[in-house]
Amino acid sequence: MNLPSNPRRAWLRGAIMTIGAMTLGTAQAHGPTRQKVIEKITVDATPEAVWALIGPFDGLAKWHPAVESSPASAGNGEGSVRTLKLKGGGALVETLERHSDSARSYSYRARDGGALPVTNYSSTISVSAAPEAGRSVVEWRGAFYRGYPNNDPPPEQNDEAALKAVTGVYQSGLANLKALVEKK
Amino acid sequence: LLLAAAASAVPLAFITNQGSDDVSVIDLDTLREVARIPVGKAPAGVAASAAAGRVFVTTPGSNGLSVIDIASRREVARLPLGQGAVGVAVSPDGRRVYVSDWFGARLLGLDAATLAPLLSVPLGAAPAGIEVSADGHTVWVAERDANRVAEIDVREPARAQVRRRFEVGEHPFGLLLDAAHQRLYVLGVYANDVTVIDLAAGTELARIAVGRAPYQAALIDGGRHVAVSNQRADSVSLIDAQTLRVVGTLDGFGYPEGIASHGANLLVVNWMDDTLAVVDAASGQRRATLALGLNPRGFGAFVVETEPAPSTTRRRPAP
Repeated sequence: MNLPSNPRRAWLRGAIMTIGAMTLGTAQAHGPTRQKVIEKITVDATPEAVWALIGPFDGLAKWHPAVESSPASAGNGEGSVRTLKLKGGGALVETLERHSDSARSYSYRARDGGALPVTNYSSTISVSAAPEAGRSVVEWRGAFYRGYPNNDPPPEQNDEAALKAVTGVYQSGLANLKALVEKK
Repeated sequence: LLLAAAASAVPLAFITNQGSDDVSVIDLDTLREVARIPVGKAPAGVAASAAAGRVFVTTPGSNGLSVIDIASRREVARLPLGQGAVGVAVSPDGRRVYVSDWFGARLLGLDAATLAPLLSVPLGAAPAGIEVSADGHTVWVAERDANRVAEIDVREPARAQVRRRFEVGEHPFGLLLDAAHQRLYVLGVYANDVTVIDLAAGTELARIAVGRAPYQAALIDGGRHVAVSNQRADSVSLIDAQTLRVVGTLDGFGYPEGIASHGANLLVVNWMDDTLAVVDAASGQRRATLALGLNPRGFGAFVVETEPAPSTTRRRPAP
């Protein structure tokens, strides 16, 4: 798992950063440019089978190797809030913005200050049929700004750190998902 | 010069690619990318003006403005400007260019030909989208962090000042002027709505609920509808410009931002997918999907419909 090496410290850093941003004023929030990560994996299982595992908003802990627990306040309903407790410490709070069983896709938005060095983070995970019958493609994509809102960020809160952290979350999650589904 | 003028006699889209520091030039007749123009860092805002013969591009990553000559499709100037230029618009006569200075919290006005500074008007925090009236007398700017729109009298640059302000839906970023109806559409990114202002009466006409994170709007169908890109809903809302109600939603976009109309086509910039979607505005059918540079924004008026005058004979029109 490529989360920041010590999730608890990363989470604390996030909290300190948020306080700093508040005292610095409001206009600085949008200086950095928005970044994105798109990761895909092909799974040897039908979209139905994959969606049965990843579709439930509160089911992340069942397939993501870094997540200890992921209870959600209102299941797959819009506005449902899930709290991710990470193995080794750290947390993320995410709100469900869209969920569609027919499109096999859901989108959520994270509260700032969680265990990733990002702000304004939103994400969508979806599964669709692969060209080869019986297989599927899972796509996980995210949009976010780096953790540090002003110019001249420290290295652990710059664009590269944000990209690396989110890429790590997606790659490790998708690899584990593939292993779990194909083992069945 | 004749050749250059002939080459530009086609409708073009100039789309800012924030992640690859360049601008994609799309021929809107053939739907092909005909040039990729390197500019300053992290280009975001764009204002293409046939009257000026130029395209102005804000480059927040290098705190400035890049200027592209439409005829030669080359960057002809690059200048530092303010503390983070974001929004940009050109007056309809092509004589002035306006830029919102994000960290400087002000509107800057320049001569579009000489690029000499003309005016600077202090604004609320995080000024973003800009529109200019048909007569060039008035400029509107979204004051994002103040949740307002400022209306600025720019007739005399030395005396340019805010004339009035409108409270709008939370986090306004993009604006659309409907000059024929004297209406201003203001997109509230956090409110997920569009505030419609009657500019003649100075009153709010409606707040229209759209999709998540509405970002930019364009008039389509000869002004009968307003199309709004909803960034976090991956959709476009269609609003009836008469009834001010949502009459349809188009899906299948990827973090759509810039949006424009060209003939029967709706052009939608997909930030997430690095593509331009060309959609038949009436049926919603996808006609083409064109590859762009990285993280395209197209924040502003990115289409040039008409042939610019050859640069040798370009003159400022009489007032």
